[in-house]
Amino acid sequence: MTESVFGAVLIALMFLFFAMGLEICIAMGVVGVLGLLYLKGWSIGLGVVGSIAWSTATNFSFIALPLFVFMSGILLHSGIGKGLFTAVARWVGFLPGGLAVASIFSCAIFAAVSGSSVATSATIGMIAIPEMERRGYARPLIIGSLAAGGTLGILIPPSIPMIIYGVMTETSIGHLYMAGIIPGVVLALMFAVYVIGYAMIWPESAPRVAEDRGSFRSKLSSFREAAPVAILICVVLGSMYLGIVTPTEAAALGSVVSLGLARWYGILNWRTLNHAFQQTVRTTSMVMLIIIFAGIFSHVIALIGTPKALLNTVTSLGLPTWALFTVIFSFLLVIAYALEELSVMIILLPILFPLITGLGFNPVWFGIIMVIWLEIGFITPPVGLNLFVIQGLMPGTGAREVTVGTTPYVIMMVMLVVLLFVFPDLALWLPAQMMPGRH
Amino acid sequence: MIGKASKAAALLAGLATLALAVLISYDVLMRYFFNRPQLIVDELAPFLLLLVVFGGVAQTFRAGGHVRVDLVTSHLRPAVRAWLRVLNLVIGVVFLAAVIWVTLQSALTALRYGRVSAVLLYPLWVPMLLIPAGLLLMALCMTGTLIRQWKAARGPRAGRDEVPPSPEAG
Repeated sequence: MTESVFGAVLIALMFLFFAMGLEICIAMGVVGVLGLLYLKGWSIGLGVVGSIAWSTATNFSFIALPLFVFMSGILLHSGIGKGLFTAVARWVGFLPGGLAVASIFSCAIFAAVSGSSVATSATIGMIAIPEMERRGYARPLIIGSLAAGGTLGILIPPSIPMIIYGVMTETSIGHLYMAGIIPGVVLALMFAVYVIGYAMIWPESAPRVAEDRGSFRSKLSSFREAAPVAILICVVLGSMYLGIVTPTEAAALGSVVSLGLARWYGILNWRTLNHAFQQTVRTTSMVMLIIIFAGIFSHVIALIGTPKALLNTVTSLGLPTWALFTVIFSFLLVIAYALEELSVMIILLPILFPLITGLGFNPVWFGIIMVIWLEIGFITPPVGLNLFVIQGLMPGTGAREVTVGTTPYVIMMVMLVVLLFVFPDLALWLPAQMMPGRH
Repeated sequence: MIGKASKAAALLAGLATLALAVLISYDVLMRYFFNRPQLIVDELAPFLLLLVVFGGVAQTFRAGGHVRVDLVTSHLRPAVRAWLRVLNLVIGVVFLAAVIWVTLQSALTALRYGRVSAVLLYPLWVPMLLIPAGLLLMALCMTGTLIRQWKAARGPRAGRDEVPPSPEAG
């Protein structure tokens, strides 16, 4: 059997296992181990399995993963992020669709302390959804603004997917974080403009009330409400941007400070802590097990030379880069509708990353593209993570409402990808300005 | 019994996260304000990460947290789905057994050669043993599910479907 045929057989076997409903981590592990046994024999092959498991699960950079999940969990369950929406609403509530705009902006601000889109949607949604329902906002407007707003959580740093991408591809996580800021702000503004336009065309979808125009005094009190999140932003992003700490250390500091804030402002008890523990352990075990076993798989396909062969095939087509990128991104979009995206990213990166960088794309830039792709996946039914959150907060939400509510945001995200393709500096300018230091 | 052990391991993993946050913050403060980086933290942190990952794998399985694709299986007849899950679980247990065996061997080798860490000089077999230990717990949980799944697949027609990963999760 030639090696390229063997590679194709392995990949086919992996998809067969996926289709059978085998746990993704185990499917990747089985395929990887079979490949190693074939290529290297029993003793060496299995030795590689042990050393990959050890080196992956003791990688210092991965420590940021449980810590950022833990921090998001504390913020979500202690309720210290709750004041943020009220605070933002005092400033932008007067706009058409004001509360939906406030949802988007508070998600964007909360994103600067949260690395998870689910935690962002849930934290802001808990307050924003009942408020918008009470004012009689149209349901698709509520669903869209919170589901899509929440995904800013992974584009605006910190970001859990960026940690995974960074470690797997040996790209600087600090640079990825800085690269996400401008696209994140641009996306938040696009969302807000859309909501304002929508509310101007269909005013009945976002009824306005006199109290929307807050007084000076109420604006002043917004600072107090937003204070916990503001403090955390300074600790997490400030220390990282100044080059004092690595992303992992920022995550640790952020966790400790959010525990302190939870004690001070909200409620910190065993229940809160236990919820945060469970969330952290579950996410970390799930993701890390896939990464470890995907590591074995990617070791095998690198041995076979599949990524290189794929790159050679693709370059021999002689297509312009924009056409190749369009093909690759369209392929990703189709998958985003069908599967759980974070796992797909981990599975595809070993093949996709060498291909993309081989075509001359910047690794940091592509990291941002991958994150926007994840955002799209998180709000597309049937398996969008953020949609589950919204459905939990708004019982009885149907598939149609979800599709109507989120499709405009999917289109805006695709527009951002096109924008980034034309102006890569939207992502790459800020990391280039970063202070030299620990990142 | 196994359920309790998984929960205890997961709690330990949670506490390890807290320890990571505190230790690394301490390291940052000592380095920034007193210029005294704590090498101990650099060495302990990966050990704690192992605990977070492998302490949690069993409980994550019991909660149905390991991602699966149900795009195809959800369209199958329940009885077919039940047998397919039996096959899945057999593959899973066999695979885990192989990984447990290899990682246990590495831990035992480290013990035999007395390998220690660079600064604290703690014996490396202790953290290395966490990998097979956590996976063993997960394999035991999977075996429990396999037994229940086998019974369901062969049992009364109405109950022939996929069983939840743990009795509580249903």
